[in-house]
Amino acid sequence: MPDPRLARVLSTLLPQRIVADAFEPAWEDLRVAYLTRRQRLKSPLGMAALRAGYLSLTILLFLDCWRLAIVSWIRRERSAPAGRAHPAITEPKQTERFHMFLYLIRHAFRQLVREPAFTVAALLTLALGVGANAAVFAVVEAVLLRPLPYPSADNLVIVNHRDKQTGITKEFIAIGDFLDLSARQKTFESIGAWGRGETAFMDRDDPYRAEVLGVGANTLDLLGARPALGRSINAEDTRENAPRVMMLGYETWKKRYGGDPTIIGRVIRMEATERQVVGIAPPGFTFPPTATTDVIIPYRFPTVAPAQRKNSWTFAIARLKPGRTLEAAATDLATMSRQFEKEFPQQNLASEYFPVGLRTALAGNTRPALVLLFAAVAVVLLIACANVANLLLARSLGRRREMSVRLALGAGGGRLVAQLLTESLVLALVASVAGLLAAYWGSHALVAVLPQSSDVPGLNDVRINGPVLGFTLGIVVLTTLVFGLVAALTVRSEKAVGVLNASRGSSMGGRARRATSALVVAEVALAIVLLVGAGLILRSFAALLAVDPGFRTENVMTMSVQLPTNRYRERGAREGFYTQAVAQIKAIPGVQEVGMAAVTPLTGNNWTSPFERPEQPVGPGERPPEVGWQLASNGYFKALQIPLVAGRLFDDRDGPNAPPAVIVSEAIQKRFFPNESAVGKRVKLEGDQTAEIVGVVGNIRRAGLRDEPRADMYFAFERPKPSQTTLFVRTASNPEKALPAITAAIKRFEPNAYVSQEQTLAHVASESERVTRVVLWLLGMFAVTSLALAAIGIYGVMSYAVRQRTREIGTRIALGATRSNIVWLVLRQGAVIAAIGTAVGLATGLGTTRFLSSIMYGVKGTDPLTLSVAVVLLVITIMLACYVPARRAASVDPATTLAEQ
Amino acid sequence: MPRELPPLSHLQFLALGVILSNDEPGRVIRDVVADYGVGRTGAAFYQLMARLERDGLIDGWYEPVVVGDQAVRERRYRITGAGSRAWRQTRSFYETVAAAAAQGRLSNA
Repeated sequence: MPDPRLARVLSTLLPQRIVADAFEPAWEDLRVAYLTRRQRLKSPLGMAALRAGYLSLTILLFLDCWRLAIVSWIRRERSAPAGRAHPAITEPKQTERFHMFLYLIRHAFRQLVREPAFTVAALLTLALGVGANAAVFAVVEAVLLRPLPYPSADNLVIVNHRDKQTGITKEFIAIGDFLDLSARQKTFESIGAWGRGETAFMDRDDPYRAEVLGVGANTLDLLGARPALGRSINAEDTRENAPRVMMLGYETWKKRYGGDPTIIGRVIRMEATERQVVGIAPPGFTFPPTATTDVIIPYRFPTVAPAQRKNSWTFAIARLKPGRTLEAAATDLATMSRQFEKEFPQQNLASEYFPVGLRTALAGNTRPALVLLFAAVAVVLLIACANVANLLLARSLGRRREMSVRLALGAGGGRLVAQLLTESLVLALVASVAGLLAAYWGSHALVAVLPQSSDVPGLNDVRINGPVLGFTLGIVVLTTLVFGLVAALTVRSEKAVGVLNASRGSSMGGRARRATSALVVAEVALAIVLLVGAGLILRSFAALLAVDPGFRTENVMTMSVQLPTNRYRERGAREGFYTQAVAQIKAIPGVQEVGMAAVTPLTGNNWTSPFERPEQPVGPGERPPEVGWQLASNGYFKALQIPLVAGRLFDDRDGPNAPPAVIVSEAIQKRFFPNESAVGKRVKLEGDQTAEIVGVVGNIRRAGLRDEPRADMYFAFERPKPSQTTLFVRTASNPEKALPAITAAIKRFEPNAYVSQEQTLAHVASESERVTRVVLWLLGMFAVTSLALAAIGIYGVMSYAVRQRTREIGTRIALGATRSNIVWLVLRQGAVIAAIGTAVGLATGLGTTRFLSSIMYGVKGTDPLTLSVAVVLLVITIMLACYVPARRAASVDPATTLAEQ
Repeated sequence: MPRELPPLSHLQFLALGVILSNDEPGRVIRDVVADYGVGRTGAAFYQLMARLERDGLIDGWYEPVVVGDQAVRERRYRITGAGSRAWRQTRSFYETVAAAAAQGRLSNA
């Protein structure tokens, strides 16, 4: 809706009387109209259009009030009695200053209307700069600056785990370590366990799929979530063998149970389990902030750390004690990690725990991308400012006589500076209104192209709010100062020139000429910084596209399948489902292979498992190395076309009653069996069990395209056949066409099977580098914009230079200079500006490429090809921009110019 | 009786006429005025009403109303005694002029 804070901010920028008389009542009418129309709307698109419409109307109302204020003031001035002394003499000073301000604004508007070409060019340039900045800032504000919805959220940290042997970082920690960390830590108020999952309410005829948050005894307390009704999850609920209880999310309670307070104590069936409702979460509570939390259940923990410390895992969140820092927590966790290494070397050697601020953890790789885009868009604004300053300088030529006459008649230099600054302010304010409208759409477009990770906070609530308006106003003030002062300072220098000189023509003083040249050099330098940045990201993206993941992503459909656990508790039932479903899916025309696996490649998953040969056990005080873990069926390798290098794939011989078997990747063969075949060898499992290596397959990049191919160990899907899996279906052509038939085949056997996350594997691969693509796209757009602005800037400067040198050029032609001599003469001047700008820009650009390091791949910041292409592109653009004025110079008629002399 | 021009403009006459018997919110008055083809912006309309208030012809105040689930305010107006008198004088002027014109008494003679 039209934001009341926007109205408050705008009302402070208006004269008090017009606020009370006109702005306030008219804005209240706007709210009534908005709310009335909103009631009739259902679609989100319609709502967005309505909000945008009323935002525009609010801004138009603001401008209209300024118009009325100025008109009223003019009328008062005109109707002042003839004998009355001028207000400037009799009225208090404050009123005089206000009248003067109104006069300056009126004058500024008049000047802008008088020169439509200049006004349109300057407004478009500035609106582009302000709009792009406000749009990116709106996303930055929502994701990185807006407080998270928990009390003192800055003190919340996620405890992460790093395996120093493999360099892999995991967001979850082993249950044994969690219990010991909780008991020994000194820097946190407490550490809470948490995890997410899905279930289904089965208490009525309409099963309802619900998002579950699992918590430890103190997790809700440390998140500051006090129950709206009943009680919270407590320590008793997390004991092993405790009665099964749950809390309902406030919104779920309202929506599904109509806010019935007697729900407390009621037992609700959720899939195979019955749980008693003990409380209702506070309104709006979710964790993580953008996820849905329908149900909260307690996790059950042993009271002491188990001997097998890593037989189960949890996510962990902690709250820093007041006054403790993230660094102190890092030291505390590192100390405990070292203790664990000594106490439990076989499980914890080279394991390290470390804290990450909750916001940083949630924002993930969106954070560096946003910071980078924000910096890039600020550069675009600077270039836009430089261009407008150039336009103002060029315009000041035409007004030189006016300024000189006013100075000669006694007008103070300060007054003229104030007038020019007011003109800049009006220009910037009008541009910012257009920019804000552009920002409204731009920020939503940016959100649409960013990865839709449910964990990134604020992405679903990007809006033009108080901070964004404040930021935009800040930009307006900054731009006014930047380009207004440049023009104003040149006017002050006019003082020395005097009226008589002014009558000779409209030549720019040396100071102004130097200023325009310096501005264009700055534009060129900034443009090349962006060009180099965009070029490096383009090269990175090309390198990523060329990466072979080790499997074929084209023509593969993936989807998650969850069977209702109450009906598929027995392995036999699951076996029946998978056998029949796979046979039916395979029978669909065009389907070539069907496979199942636990982990979808390229989704960042880095689950690992220890790898140890029984004949080469690790020594005391050592931990076996970790290798990637995957549960896969025979069809998985075929569907993804992961090549079989030696041995065989899983088959009927690897069923639940057969001896355990594993398949390993080539990296394991190379690392652990350098001079022998891995096939037929054994690997240690939990306890005394071992498994036979039955096959060796090609390496794949499992976590992401940037991931180096790692050692992976595959366990047979055929043994446990879990109730949840990911299906991989290879088809002969477009796999999406087969999707309805695949889903129907699954539902035919189990109508309550929950099929979700249907996507092609190619889409998964593409999404894994979405941030890079978005940064490439936006940075490229900013770079092209800055290049175009720089070209316009240099075109303006060269056009002016040619006009100044018309007589000189005419004389040169008369003395025998050829047309090409003249063209070269002009191009050379442009080349000097380009060379200086390029040199400055390259020096700056090379220093700034390190900010791209988190996004770059397979290319160095000093990549010679990128730098060369950026320079060539810039030089060609500048030369093209100079060519038109150069041609004009070459067509000067010497007879005319000599006659003028 | 001396002949005088009316104390109100057409637009003021129209606006006061809307609230002659009942107080009304500003947007209702604005809608009526708009029906007569007066295309004033919201701000310009309320500025006109503020001037009538300052001249003592109407009283204005904010009243809370609920639209959907939101509480908002709207500006309401009622005519004052001075406003009623001014409106009647203006009506009387129009009636007199209309009657005189009908009888041909507004000719150059």
